[in-house]
Amino acid sequence: MKRNVDPITLAVVRGVLETTQREMTLTLEKTARSSVFNVAHDYSNAIFNHRPEMILQGQDIPIHLGSMIPAMKFVAQYFEDGIHEGDVIYHNDPVNMGSHILDCCMYKPVFYQGELVFWTVCKGHVTDIGGPVPAGYNPDAKEIYAEGLRIPPVKFWDKGVMRKDVVNFYLANVRSRRDQEGDLRAQLGAVTVGERNLIALLDKYGVQTVRDCIDELMDMADRHMREIIRSVPDGTYAASAVLEDAGHGFGDITISASVTIEGDECAIAISSPPQIPYFINSYEGNSISGVYLGLMMFTQVDPPYNEGLYRCIRVDLGPKGTLVNAQEPAPHVNCTTTPMETLADAVRLALEKAAPERAVGSWGHASGINIAGFDARNNEEYVTMVLASLISGAGATAHMDGWHACGPQCCFGALTSGDVEILEYSYPIVIHRYGLVQDSGGAGKYRGGCATEWEVEPIGHEMTVISFGEGRKYPSIGANGARSHMIDSKLARIDLKAGEKVTETLRKNVVLQIQDGQRVSAINPGGGGWGSPFEREPERVADDVRNGFVSFEAARQDYGVAVSEEDFSVLVEETRQLRAHAI
Amino acid sequence: MSKRFRLGIDAGGTFTDFVLADAMGQVRLFKATSTPDDGTKAIADGLQQISEAVGLPVPEILNNADLLVNGTTVALNALIQLKGVRTGLICTAGHEDSIEIRLGHKEEGYRYDAKYPPATMLVPRFLRHGVRERVLADGTVQMPLNEDDVRAACERFRAEGVEAVALSFVWSVANEVHERRAAEIVREMLPGVYVSVGVEVFPQMREYTRTSTAVVNAYLGPVLERYVRRIDDFFVGLGVTAPIRYYQSNGGMAARDMMVSRAVNAINSGPASAPTAGLHVAGPLGIRNIITVDMGGTSFDITLTKDGKTNLSKNIDFLRYRIGTPMIQVETLGAGGGSIAWIDAMGLLNVGPQSAGAHPGPVCYMRGGEAPTVTDANVVLGYLNPSYLLGGRVKIDGAAARRAIEEKIARPLGISVEHAAHGIFSIVNNNMVNGIRRVSVERGYDPRDFVLVGAGGATALHIAALAREIGVRKVLVPKLASGLCAFGQILSNVKYTKMSACPMRVNENADWERIEQRFHELEQEAITALQAEGFARSQVLIERSVDMRYLGQVHECTVDIGTMKVDARSFGDIRSRFDRRHQALFTYCEPDGVVELVNIEVAVAGVVPPLQTGARMAAADGSAELPVKEQRRMVFGHGAEIETVLAPVYDGDKLPPGVTLDGPAVIEEITTSIVIEPGWAATLDASGVYVLEDKVAGAMAAGTVVRQSHAVAA
Repeated sequence: MKRNVDPITLAVVRGVLETTQREMTLTLEKTARSSVFNVAHDYSNAIFNHRPEMILQGQDIPIHLGSMIPAMKFVAQYFEDGIHEGDVIYHNDPVNMGSHILDCCMYKPVFYQGELVFWTVCKGHVTDIGGPVPAGYNPDAKEIYAEGLRIPPVKFWDKGVMRKDVVNFYLANVRSRRDQEGDLRAQLGAVTVGERNLIALLDKYGVQTVRDCIDELMDMADRHMREIIRSVPDGTYAASAVLEDAGHGFGDITISASVTIEGDECAIAISSPPQIPYFINSYEGNSISGVYLGLMMFTQVDPPYNEGLYRCIRVDLGPKGTLVNAQEPAPHVNCTTTPMETLADAVRLALEKAAPERAVGSWGHASGINIAGFDARNNEEYVTMVLASLISGAGATAHMDGWHACGPQCCFGALTSGDVEILEYSYPIVIHRYGLVQDSGGAGKYRGGCATEWEVEPIGHEMTVISFGEGRKYPSIGANGARSHMIDSKLARIDLKAGEKVTETLRKNVVLQIQDGQRVSAINPGGGGWGSPFEREPERVADDVRNGFVSFEAARQDYGVAVSEEDFSVLVEETRQLRAHAI
Repeated sequence: MSKRFRLGIDAGGTFTDFVLADAMGQVRLFKATSTPDDGTKAIADGLQQISEAVGLPVPEILNNADLLVNGTTVALNALIQLKGVRTGLICTAGHEDSIEIRLGHKEEGYRYDAKYPPATMLVPRFLRHGVRERVLADGTVQMPLNEDDVRAACERFRAEGVEAVALSFVWSVANEVHERRAAEIVREMLPGVYVSVGVEVFPQMREYTRTSTAVVNAYLGPVLERYVRRIDDFFVGLGVTAPIRYYQSNGGMAARDMMVSRAVNAINSGPASAPTAGLHVAGPLGIRNIITVDMGGTSFDITLTKDGKTNLSKNIDFLRYRIGTPMIQVETLGAGGGSIAWIDAMGLLNVGPQSAGAHPGPVCYMRGGEAPTVTDANVVLGYLNPSYLLGGRVKIDGAAARRAIEEKIARPLGISVEHAAHGIFSIVNNNMVNGIRRVSVERGYDPRDFVLVGAGGATALHIAALAREIGVRKVLVPKLASGLCAFGQILSNVKYTKMSACPMRVNENADWERIEQRFHELEQEAITALQAEGFARSQVLIERSVDMRYLGQVHECTVDIGTMKVDARSFGDIRSRFDRRHQALFTYCEPDGVVELVNIEVAVAGVVPPLQTGARMAAADGSAELPVKEQRRMVFGHGAEIETVLAPVYDGDKLPPGVTLDGPAVIEEITTSIVIEPGWAATLDASGVYVLEDKVAGAMAAGTVVRQSHAVAA
């Protein structure tokens, strides 16, 4: 259906929507108190129309890519006709389309001349959501009830009036109340800024024109995605990815995806084993994000993003009660990284089978540490997730090497790590090393990005180190024929050290106590490569060796390239033999 | 600063601008085509023009002038084109990669883009040399400096032909002994190599920012040094004996040697003088809140000044490189006359950021450009003369502009050429409005409280439309608009910004004496430098500021404290200033929260006497006829509703001051054209400034009904 929309007004409306979303994000980022909000960028802001369809989502964190769409619909249906001007709704319930309980989402209906026209929505990862463990990650939880507070759709503001009793009920159940109040205020600021800008847009163009433009924008996104899908050969493509047992004892878990392309339609069916009593189950909303991430890695669509993109995509997550289609009471808090990243891998691998040249290598999965202890300088306890320890290598693409230090896959470059001096000022620690890891990028015609290593020592106290994540057993998966021989250096691991000397290497999730003089080095995984490493120009391999991204040994083993230890030149004859021999 | 002339030379990408002010208050603008390979050629050309106009030989003018040169494009272009020198980095072992990790972040807008490359490293990894040493956050030495490691690095750099070395150690801001000793060794072992020391270039907390700033400084230093030497030789050759000053991105001038040792401070100095010029222009009209907008061929620069004080920014990414040093906040967009209009994969019309630049340039320039640009749209809309620009110096082909817009935009979208051209105009305006929001709304200011001041040749075509879009009712366009930045430079003070890291939690143990002492030391350093340049103590102006945050926050907020002495007593006042600024920026504050001091900073200025621009234009005698050049078809409108009207084109050169011109109309000056939108009127002030006002909004203001607020009580 082609409606009568002025193309200039259309472009202007699109610009206003983007600015609105951007200003919502800025408001949130600058005023939020918890570092997961303002450093990790673990939030998403979106605008929905009255139906409600998502009409714009920022390029914030991929963890929230798909879950906001069904969550918004659930919230609107829940209240039916009981939505009024001035209402503000809060929600986090994974069982009903939320991502995980730490992602608390605020919804504000926008009314214009008495009519519901938009929703402004702001979702963010809060510092704490109650439950037995600070910050919400409780590996001992066997049920969701043991993880923290579940918030079904509830009005925090009713017709413009704050429901003090309800908000207080919420705040009474979470830690660090002051930060939480600040974060709530930041979210309210974001949805209010969005509302203000949208009303100005309606004042200028009127409801009908704006509505027509938005419908057209969604149709355009739909046509664009269909064009991409149509370019992929028809057929059914299946693949699976393995999620390692990082210490929970339930064994490796295989997640499979089957993608059927038929003309300009794409059906994605997932299958996974039954849910387990460990916090890596994923409910529907979060799993949709994982599927969409795999899809976006393959389609590489440029912004802006709206719901029209997904009209031609059908998702079937398999029977309820399975790992990625969990049902009550499955524990789930870790789901936004594990198994979300493996799920995205399965989908992108199935799509790779349809069009290998288009695929990108997988990014390093989330693998990092939290640290905790007592800071005698200020006489206070500290606990923090070390974002810097998560910054893994990006996957290579058909056009270039993967970015160094840009992951993990679930964040896709949205994360920022803290500055070394800011961290050492804030906590009683010395960071001995924050650098790129040699030979960690997956080999390929285009090399995967290097992982990072973050090495810490406590000053004057005993420090608790909690490792989480995976990627310590299976390396990031390459694309289009990429493969590595030297696997060990591509994996994540935790090195326990006495001074400079490694005393133990750990490949599972553990809790460690370390003293002055002891160090923990958190090494995350590199990104996957793209294409055969034997097709990489030898000069580029030599350049990598000169820069220390690749060792002399890996140049030979992974790439079949001999590099002179004298001047880093390519030893042509030896290289020819190495490459001939391997084929 | 007491000579007969004041001469500012601003070497831009396309033109080198010359602004000459004389003791009578007359200000004249000259332009020469820039000569990027040797900037002195353009300068010689311009000086010749000035000599002819003034009727004095070049040496006589120069020896009677205070001289100021802006070499901004030299440093800037070297960074854009990655043509700095081969640079090495010496840093704390284990921290060699912070400039490549870049805090792990990929820029917005490229989330799933498979072709967006990482930033090119100014120092490749094999030239980043870690040395064994360690200072802790409290300044204590955990591991002494291993001097052999430094020497080994130098040997390596010598073998690799390194021309500049940056040094940056973790916590050198808490204890600079290691970093300074290492720098000493480098200077000893590598004489002639440019040395950039982190704690000197950006002495504030944040290792990544400091290292990156030191690296950018090293990478550009020798390039700027060569340029400065060439300029100096050129002027010495003409018999000039007085020192030449250079312009910095902090909005002030610097002596030659200071500039060379801080090349990074030159990086975006081009647009940094716009606020000074804008205030000079707006001052006589009693205006102190201004937003300057400067549209050139490829970009659009915006600055904001509130109550006479200009927004600064520090710790920002500039051309993908983190730079700490405070600069005038200049929001730059890829929106200029050469910006290309195109239709994206989804079928939406976009304008920029790609630009046809000066070559091939807009289609109408007839230099081979095929992509329709903003300038082409302005020709089709009748805002620009369809056959020539710059008073006839550049011939153009209006029909070609029309054809290009027809083929590339109008036909694919199924709309008329006029509609498409107006669409390009509207969309680029919209992009610029978003840019204006970034310096205003996002900094806690309402743009409607400001007046727009136009700088640059292309701005005046768009400025009234921009003002209307953001609700600004008054706009100033000086006749000098196209050389306004060069003008601003000769009005500016000499200004040195000094900084120090002073992390401290504010409680009863707070060591205020140390902070006050540090302020004092920084000020003394700057004052000594200014006195050496001939400023008396009475001509020195000091402005202190502190970076503060609430305990647990990640971002700091800069609080201006003027010349306030820092102690336990004054802290109450400083504290409430911080709370107020936080409220304005972030919508809330916590007067009872614990706060931390992070960095201190002081701007010390040697005040240059104000320029007497007393020259007034003669008033009209009342009977004079308006100088109408022609009636031209022009397109105006809004969204889908546009109309073509016949409107007058006035000759700006012949307009008498005091006359009010109603829109729609165009005023043609030689270096700029001013569009007066329907409903707007322009008056030429006797000071040579066009004042444009929104008559419709002005008339409505008296009877405006205040709309019900939609904000919900929070």
